[in-house]
Formats: sequence, structure tokens, C-alpha cells
Amino acid sequence: MADFDPEKFEDKYANYFPELQQAYKNAFNRMNDQYDSELVHAIDQQVLNESEPFYDGNGEFTIELPDNPYGRLSGIVVEQDRFEELLEIHVGEIETELERIFEFQ
Amino acid sequence: MSTETQNDGDDLEERVSNFLRRNFPQIQMHGGSAAIQDIDRESGEVTIALGGACSGCGISPMTIQAIKSRMVKEIPEIEKVNAHTGMDGGMGGESGGGGMEPSFPGETVDDDGAADEGPEAPF
Repeated sequence: MADFDPEKFEDKYANYFPELQQAYKNAFNRMNDQYDSELVHAIDQQVLNESEPFYDGNGEFTIELPDNPYGRLSGIVVEQDRFEELLEIHVGEIETELERIFEFQ
Repeated sequence: MSTETQNDGDDLEERVSNFLRRNFPQIQMHGGSAAIQDIDRESGEVTIALGGACSGCGISPMTIQAIKSRMVKEIPEIEKVNAHTGMDGGMGGESGGGGMEPSFPGETVDDDGAADEGPEAPF
């Protein structure tokens, strides 16, 4: 889908914005289909809005999260363990989508 | 660098608005809106609220990050960007003025913030 250049990824929001949006969107849709929609939305809007993807090399990406993700939640009650479990899955989905969109898979 | 910094903020607000319109047309294309809630010219801090379909859309986190990253690079007076959707504070995200007007092609979003999934992005 997209030629990937690690150097261009350093200015990712200018060079790869549509791909990043697509990865987040695909991950969100999958999570929304499979898990508690309210919690998925909260993670998406309150935690992932401060996330940043980085390319690690070897076709792998990591998502850097803001400090204290659980503390960022508002308007929803969820146990921390449950939240962290779902957040980890969601982040994994985004990383997988990035690898897929940039054709590392 | 800038030649128009003596105004009372209107010029900066216009440039922020133009920046959003020029660089992020997909916000409107997807039924969302981006409104400038506040501009502090002393600190160079601007607050942007994404509303409409953006409030519950899975691409808004990345849109927010892109706005934050690019605006400080492209508008020298801007030092810090606060951007949020209706789900983490303000509701609806359409308060304030000077932002892009929503063009909302039939998508509905719950008012209580627990919005249903946003529209499919026509990538």
C-alpha cells in the first residue's frame, strides 16, 4: 500500500498521515467489534489521543502511550486490570495494522 | 519572521484556521469539525476542539497528534497545541469561533459523549 522509508517516518504526520489514520481506524473498528464499545471509545479518545507510533526497525512498530493512562480516563468506571488488558490489546492491534499497512506482514 | 504580529489575535486565529482547513480537509470530509476554542498569544498556546463525527471516530487520536505536531512547526507563534474531542472534556467540540464549520452528511453522534462509531473513512 505504501512505500516505507524509515527516515520519512521521522516526520510521520506529514509523510504518512493517511496510513497512520488508517491503522488507528482499523484497530479501533476491530476493537469496537469485539469488546466493550464504551471502554474502547474511551481508550481511543482519552488515551490514544496522546499516543505516538515509532518505527523500531525490522518491520516493527511500537506505540508510545502517555503517562498514567488509567488516570486519564473520565466518564467511565472500569477496573484498572480490565482497562490495562484492553489497552494492551488495542495497542497491539495498532502495531499490527501499521505492519500490515506498510507491508511488513 | 512574521510581518503581522501587531494585531489583536485575529490574524493568528485566521492562520490557525487556514492551517487546519488546508492540512486537514479530511476532518470536514468525514463529517467532523475543528473549532478554535482559545488562543493565548502571550504563551503561544492554542486549544482546538474536534467535534461532530470526530468525537467518536477512530482516526481522531491520530488527527489530534498530527495537528499538534505540525502546527507548532508551521506556525512559528504557536508554541503549544491542546487538541481534544468532545469525549475528554468539552461536549460537542463546536464551541468557540473561527474554526471550520461542520458539514455533517447525516451522521449522528450521541450527545452524552458515548458516541457510536464514526463514519467509515473514505480512504
